[in-house]
Amino acid sequence: MAIENQFEYVKAKNLDEVVGLLQRFKNAVILSGGTDLVELLKTGAVHPDVVIDIKGLDILKDIRLGNNILWIGAGVTFSELMDSEIINEHFPIIAEMSKTVASVGIRNRATMVGNICSAVPCMDSGPVLSVYKARIITDGQIGERQIPIEQWFVGNRKTALFKNEIVKGISIPVPDKKHSGCFVKLRRYAGEDLAQVNLAILAFDDYSFRISFGAVAPTPVRAMRIERLINRMKLVPELVEKAQQLVEDDIAPITDIRATKEYRMHMAKVMLERGLTAAIERLNGGGPAYGKSVI
Amino acid sequence: MDEYKFVGKSSVRVDGKVKISGTAQFIDDLDFGPNLLFAEIVESKFAHAIINSIDTTEAEKIPGVVKIVTGKDFPFRFGLYMHDRYIFAQDRVRFVGEQVAAVIARDAVTAIAAAKLVKVDYTELTPVLSVQQALGDSPFLIHPDLKDYHHVPWFFPQTDSNVAHLRKVRNGNVEEAFADSDFVLDDVYTVPRYAHCALEVHGAVGLLDHSGRLTVWTASQSPHTQRHLFAEALAPLGFQHKDVRVITPFVGGGFGGKAGVSMEILGAALATKVKGNPVKILWSRAQEFYNTYQRQGVVARLKVGVKNDGTITALEHTLYWDAGAYVEYGANVVNAAGLSATGPYRIPNIKIDSYCVYTNLPPGGPYRGFGYSEFLFGLESHINELAKKIKMDPVEFRKKNAIREGDRLTYGAKMNPNGLMEAIDKVAKEIEWGKKETSSDPNKVIGKGFSLFWKAPAMPPNASSSAFLKFNEDGSLNILVSGMEIGQGYLTVLAQIAAEVLSVPVEKIRVETPDTDRNPYEWQTVASHVTWGCGNAVKQAAEDAREQIFDLIERANGKKREELYLEDECVRSKVEKDFSLPLKNFIISGIQKEDGTFRGGPIIGRGMFMPEFASALSDPETSQGGHPNVHYTVGAAAVKIEIDKQTGKVKIPKVVLAVDCGKAINPDLVNGQITGGILQGIATVLYEDMRFDDKGKLINANFSDYKIPTAMDIPDLVVPIIIEVAQPDGPYGARGMGEHTMIPAAPIIANAVEDALGIRIKSMPITAEKIALAVKNKSKN
Amino acid sequence: MKKEISFLLNSERRTIDVSSSEILLEVLRDRLGLNSPKCGCDRGDCGTCSVMINGKTVRSCLILAIEVEDQEVVTLEGIMQNGLTPLQESFLKHNSFQCGFCTPGVILSTTELLAKNPHPNKEEIQEAIAGNLCRCTGYSPIIDAVIDLVK
Repeated sequence: MAIENQFEYVKAKNLDEVVGLLQRFKNAVILSGGTDLVELLKTGAVHPDVVIDIKGLDILKDIRLGNNILWIGAGVTFSELMDSEIINEHFPIIAEMSKTVASVGIRNRATMVGNICSAVPCMDSGPVLSVYKARIITDGQIGERQIPIEQWFVGNRKTALFKNEIVKGISIPVPDKKHSGCFVKLRRYAGEDLAQVNLAILAFDDYSFRISFGAVAPTPVRAMRIERLINRMKLVPELVEKAQQLVEDDIAPITDIRATKEYRMHMAKVMLERGLTAAIERLNGGGPAYGKSVI
Repeated sequence: MDEYKFVGKSSVRVDGKVKISGTAQFIDDLDFGPNLLFAEIVESKFAHAIINSIDTTEAEKIPGVVKIVTGKDFPFRFGLYMHDRYIFAQDRVRFVGEQVAAVIARDAVTAIAAAKLVKVDYTELTPVLSVQQALGDSPFLIHPDLKDYHHVPWFFPQTDSNVAHLRKVRNGNVEEAFADSDFVLDDVYTVPRYAHCALEVHGAVGLLDHSGRLTVWTASQSPHTQRHLFAEALAPLGFQHKDVRVITPFVGGGFGGKAGVSMEILGAALATKVKGNPVKILWSRAQEFYNTYQRQGVVARLKVGVKNDGTITALEHTLYWDAGAYVEYGANVVNAAGLSATGPYRIPNIKIDSYCVYTNLPPGGPYRGFGYSEFLFGLESHINELAKKIKMDPVEFRKKNAIREGDRLTYGAKMNPNGLMEAIDKVAKEIEWGKKETSSDPNKVIGKGFSLFWKAPAMPPNASSSAFLKFNEDGSLNILVSGMEIGQGYLTVLAQIAAEVLSVPVEKIRVETPDTDRNPYEWQTVASHVTWGCGNAVKQAAEDAREQIFDLIERANGKKREELYLEDECVRSKVEKDFSLPLKNFIISGIQKEDGTFRGGPIIGRGMFMPEFASALSDPETSQGGHPNVHYTVGAAAVKIEIDKQTGKVKIPKVVLAVDCGKAINPDLVNGQITGGILQGIATVLYEDMRFDDKGKLINANFSDYKIPTAMDIPDLVVPIIIEVAQPDGPYGARGMGEHTMIPAAPIIANAVEDALGIRIKSMPITAEKIALAVKNKSKN
Repeated sequence: MKKEISFLLNSERRTIDVSSSEILLEVLRDRLGLNSPKCGCDRGDCGTCSVMINGKTVRSCLILAIEVEDQEVVTLEGIMQNGLTPLQESFLKHNSFQCGFCTPGVILSTTELLAKNPHPNKEEIQEAIAGNLCRCTGYSPIIDAVIDLVK
């Protein structure tokens, strides 16, 4: 299907040019992987005057670790995350999550930044960035902003990004404690699917946890009450059961074509238990290999 | 023993290189030059509404728009088995997405833009979205003129109702038999609608040239049937069959979805309005979901009686088919299922009612399995439950009641030779039936499920096939047929059959996709019948050529024809060891006599096949008396599954399917049908289904939400088992098996779920969600 | 907006005018005559439109043609410059196709896999072709062809 709407296409040469174009054209969109955007252009859901392609900006292609901060540029694809030594060594659940995104042909093109800019509730990046306490770095006429992940998502497909801003990348502080984690994605079958529920867990060696659910509310849900309940506790079955009960308070899943709210709620609890178990086993050097689904 | 040289061998596919090199041309790969026009459809927004007016003035103003066509341009009713549909909606629309008008433009973007400007004024009517609603008290009639519709003589529309056809089968006395039974089980099973999901969408390009010749290129399983229906539907415009030509390139998957005529009529009709210009119409993936045939949903009530010794005494099977807005093809699915709804069982007393019910959902139609997958889900689930009730092993129970050669079929004719018992035993052995297995994971349970299956080709009694076979100078040959290569490997099978008769290797035989002008008649590539029907025609054509060769040798060389045979592309003699005449020496040019003159000429074989014993005429109240089905292909299947009780997810370590194909002309291709068909079937039971909103709109018309299996969703192991009990009238004993591989998938999974969890799920699909919530509810109660 | 772009297509430098709104798949098929990439769903779900950009398989239905300026694009036609590849021969041997519509995409995905990982296991093969929907084969003949080739 061809695109009906006509637009200007600019392959940006530097960030200043992007910022300038965003300022000049009210109706401009950023194109990186295009796996969401081109579909929206085809259906007419988005009809920009200008499409700004940022794939030529080498500065946005970095996966970099320095001063205990990980930098993921806006142009970094899920395939690059999966293949990155830095990611696999220090942030294995980013790699684990990336492997569950769509399929190779999409991952070769789609970016993590694009994923959080589209901000559909079932996105896979949201919960992971949430537990890593990521910050989203934007640029625009008003200069650079650093937006904490908990302030980034403001609703279904809505973010804190201003219209004339661009996301440059994501920064993630390297956790100061030894940690492991687990990303769990519920889907209708083993193949490519959008999440019915997803869950990211970070487990630290002091037995504190960070837990975030996705696809069970308009934005990712950090399960703070559960974290408070289980932090620094031995995860005996009774405690896990209590934590599972708290899931009901923390998330508000809906019924849609992919699942009923009952199944989502039920599975969020199952996933919590299995995710915690796997995370702790991994912390102790065992458990399922990263990338192997626990459900 | 090496009985044959080419038949029964897994030769490399004749369409192999063209496909793996990406060279195979599909409809959208053909080039029609710069004059090509594009059509975009204006679709109904409503499931049921009266069309008050259509305003095209704004759309006509758009530069590049060539023509706008509406129902007024084609006020003709047509259809395959029943004339109940129109080229474009007339006074009313009957499903969301129905074609109301078309905009033809110089390019696709213009056509799309202009189509949005066509204004249709509707008065909405109450949509009828389920069989319950359609059959309820004083339902809204979707086709008020049903009684006037032309249809084949074996349909029985029920006047002043939404029942387009009712197939009744009666034998014996079910009431008495139920009373005599030790146990009677009554239950209801439901199956939703499904989509074929061939990777290639439907498309058609029509061209009416200035001489009055109409050519239509289509992605189709049925080129000749299409030609016939195009000519028939457009007959008021003065077309004769000789003026209509259908050319069908490779088809990117059919599964029944490209059988008959669906959107292709638009290509033919629109061409008549833009004479001299080819016009292309290509469905989007969404249209592919909502405006082509869908597999019909069914609500099936089953009542079966048994004796304590395991004898099935009686079956009452009432099937309510959600056949959709137009049933011109789908009604025959209903018919076929009704005639066979006993499954492959010997049951003396039967009462079957198969209702074809109009609803305001997209038209139902043929889908691999043709109704059998749908009723077998309930029937084979029921068989398991019955076995449980009388405490008999479900496989033993099946064996006790399984149909055998010579047994009476529902309509009175006798069952053909078959290897059903062999299939049951081999499958039971392979799946280690009776061996209980437990998982080491406490969350997981293992279950096994078993099912028999059968299916007959559902064809008009006079459905026929024909073939031409012509030699080339070097002794290679071309076979002309009109069956379609839709992936199954049919071209290769035909080449093997001809090779066997003529001793010409498969590599020297070319078989291609048809052009109705050049290739002889074939009814359709459906019903798993082409290996049998067209295979017979090709075998006959090859034998015809062989006899001509022997005639010639007798005449020119003075040999006795009964002493001649073909071997290694030569004519040889049983009595003269030294006589060996290569075919290439005379097959075109003839044989030269001593005086310099020649005998012979190009050898062209001709063959045709029609099952002359078949008849669709029978008593409408009982279906007794006719011989509607030519034969049944039978088999058995079983699965081992592992269920995670918490997530409901099902893993399949092993699935086994045995099918009696009479003779596997090409065993690799038979195995390919099994591997592909079983997965397609497993998907229907585990996750696929079409979902409609409360206005009748399909809400998962894409692959994001209509999930078809990926490479990660396959069973760990598929074990195909080929059974060969020859079909007496089949080429080398072959009968069809393509559809059959999908049919038992749903019940083997349903039965395995029950085996593992003790939970009987009676509605498809049996999703992880459904299992998990059922386990949760069970443990709660 | 129209623009002249130049890119490497199956090892040949090509220069064409494209409109910014043109889709790569349509330009390859309708204007450059390369028919191996197919349109199966038009929204990135099915993989029949797969081509390689700079050695990686992508969905050409989700890419603007104008984006490939100065990039290297390879379609199935481009990997056969020395005849059928051993992978294709293995597909032929194992009947790893039926209707043939998804086949170009499947072969490209597998080609990418083998370039990156010459000895993939079954799971890695499944993962690599998971984005290429095939309705005919049940996939195992495809997996068998790759396993047979790399063993």
